[in-house]
Amino acid sequence: MSFFSAIGWILWKDLLSELRSRENFSSMLFFALAVILIFSFSFSTDQEAVKAVIAGVIWVAFGFTAIIGLGKSFAVELQNDCLEALQINPIPKGAIYLGKLLANLIFIFSVELLLLPLFVIFFNLDVLEKFPILLVIMIGGTLGLSALGTLFSALTVQIRAREVMLPILLLPMAVPVFIGAVEATRGLLGGEPFSLYRPWIDLLLVFDVIFIVVSFWVIDFVLDD
Amino acid sequence: MSRFILWLRKYQGWFGLAGGLCMTVGLYLGLVISPPDYYQGEVVRIMYLHVPLAQTSLLAYATLFISSIWYLWKRDPIIDNAAHAAAGLGVFFTAAALVTGSIWAKPTWNTWWTWDPRLVSFTVLLLILIGYLMLRMFIDEPERQARFAAILAIVGGVDLPIVKFSVEWWRTLHQPLSISPRGVSYSSDMLTPLLIMALGMSLLFAYMLMVRTQLLYLRQLLEAKKGRLLSRVQL
Amino acid sequence: MTGFYLRWAGIAGVALVVAWLAAQHYDREVQTITPEQLLQTRPEGTVRVIGLVQAGSLTLVPQEGSATPPNTTSPSTPSMILAEFELAGPEAHLLVHYDGPADDNLRELKTLVVIGHFTPAGPGGLDRQRFEAHDLDLLPNYGFITAAYLLALVPLALFLFGMERRVALLYTVIKETTAYQPEAER
Repeated sequence: MSFFSAIGWILWKDLLSELRSRENFSSMLFFALAVILIFSFSFSTDQEAVKAVIAGVIWVAFGFTAIIGLGKSFAVELQNDCLEALQINPIPKGAIYLGKLLANLIFIFSVELLLLPLFVIFFNLDVLEKFPILLVIMIGGTLGLSALGTLFSALTVQIRAREVMLPILLLPMAVPVFIGAVEATRGLLGGEPFSLYRPWIDLLLVFDVIFIVVSFWVIDFVLDD
Repeated sequence: MSRFILWLRKYQGWFGLAGGLCMTVGLYLGLVISPPDYYQGEVVRIMYLHVPLAQTSLLAYATLFISSIWYLWKRDPIIDNAAHAAAGLGVFFTAAALVTGSIWAKPTWNTWWTWDPRLVSFTVLLLILIGYLMLRMFIDEPERQARFAAILAIVGGVDLPIVKFSVEWWRTLHQPLSISPRGVSYSSDMLTPLLIMALGMSLLFAYMLMVRTQLLYLRQLLEAKKGRLLSRVQL
Repeated sequence: MTGFYLRWAGIAGVALVVAWLAAQHYDREVQTITPEQLLQTRPEGTVRVIGLVQAGSLTLVPQEGSATPPNTTSPSTPSMILAEFELAGPEAHLLVHYDGPADDNLRELKTLVVIGHFTPAGPGGLDRQRFEAHDLDLLPNYGFITAAYLLALVPLALFLFGMERRVALLYTVIKETTAYQPEAER
């Protein structure tokens, strides 16, 4: 099996199992909804306060979504010895990583797309004409979280306290993603000219590329049993 | 018992002695001889402790990073012990650097904490190191523990410069005008104790690394001889 | 193991000596008293008194032959000035007669430490008790320095002590197990 068709198979497998059970998707969605609701209690009436922090709130919600989704990414393989089956399979381990990365990206991004209208409605945001750029920021940030998160999910899947270790490992390392995404979103929502917040998007993309490459190299050592 | 471990045991004393002497001289010069800063007064003396601690914590992470790469290449368990030791020491030095930095901030900037890029980067460093130690704690199988920890350290090492860069960039945008950089008018009176303390603390770090590597190696050796439960008895 | 204990006993000894020297230094050159304590205890000799320069009380006694006013003197060439001010503590205040180097810090509403000796009122000559100061100093904030150094160095020493002790114990235990094994195999 060639490298790219291996990626395709992994991606198709994860998408299919998720479409059938929808447990991952629904838990991500409802958790994020709860986060949005709680935040809206904190700043509901004060418009100025909302404007100042909404970019951060959006990315906190997206970040929690990502953590839940990423945790389940390799955890679903634990049943029925699927993880061992993946490890002894002759496909290159990098293909497993990229397949799972794309699957995570699609899951998390689709939840974010569902959450976005809610943010616009609840907090009265003005994003219509800048929507494509917002999508780029969202993809850039989500890709950054997924790049590291997929690797850490593989790293923590077989250890004790797996669910708590993934955020502990991921969040400090993902600080540049949060900084870049929040600053870019803040610039976009605040009506700044594109050239002003564009460097943050560049930061996100550079981060994504670096960590996809590093994780791709390193995943061989992780799935090495 | 490995020859390398015996070599460490033989020569560690020299590093410890050199480090202790350097630090004693440095502390004397810093606390007694050197003049107070024109702007900050006496509290500038905290610098003689804080800056070497911060440098040593970065040295600890560099040791961790290099040992992790070396381990993945050569698979030598003693190198893994050295990496584990460096991480533990790194947590200590980073925490100490943050605490002394915070204490220094109160009289100079009138605040215990500020989102200064260096403080934030060091906090992220501390969290990464703690995550590393927790990962090791939760994996029982020694080979997998060493391998996964090495991977985490390498990814963290690539990440840290990006974190530092992005936090610095973020702060230059939101720099509050009231906080001035912690400018110290360096004179040679101040530079000498600072350099001596930095050297002394690095030597002390080398000594602590040698001791801690032996500690982790011996612990594993004892477990191999006696089994896990019996090894925990007397210590 | 004995070498280990001797070594750390030596380090503890050095630490005690340093602590004693630091306490001496504090007593002699750092510790300050307030004006009310001064008026109550009336110590002889040189003391350090801390207080606030009261607003409106600072008067500089003009010197003969001085071309430049004292305030523009650069710190590297101190010129001597005469000044009088009221130094206020929480409950009492003190008339201070200052005869010493010019200092930018000598201004109203500044908290200062004056170093000198106390001259009580009496039939001898002065109609009012006052403090003769020959030097000024700023509010010392040694508390921060001490806290920082103790919080860093004491845990360092404890950490290192614990590690070395465990290593020494492990070496002895491992040597014993190696010596013990031939008998266990019988």
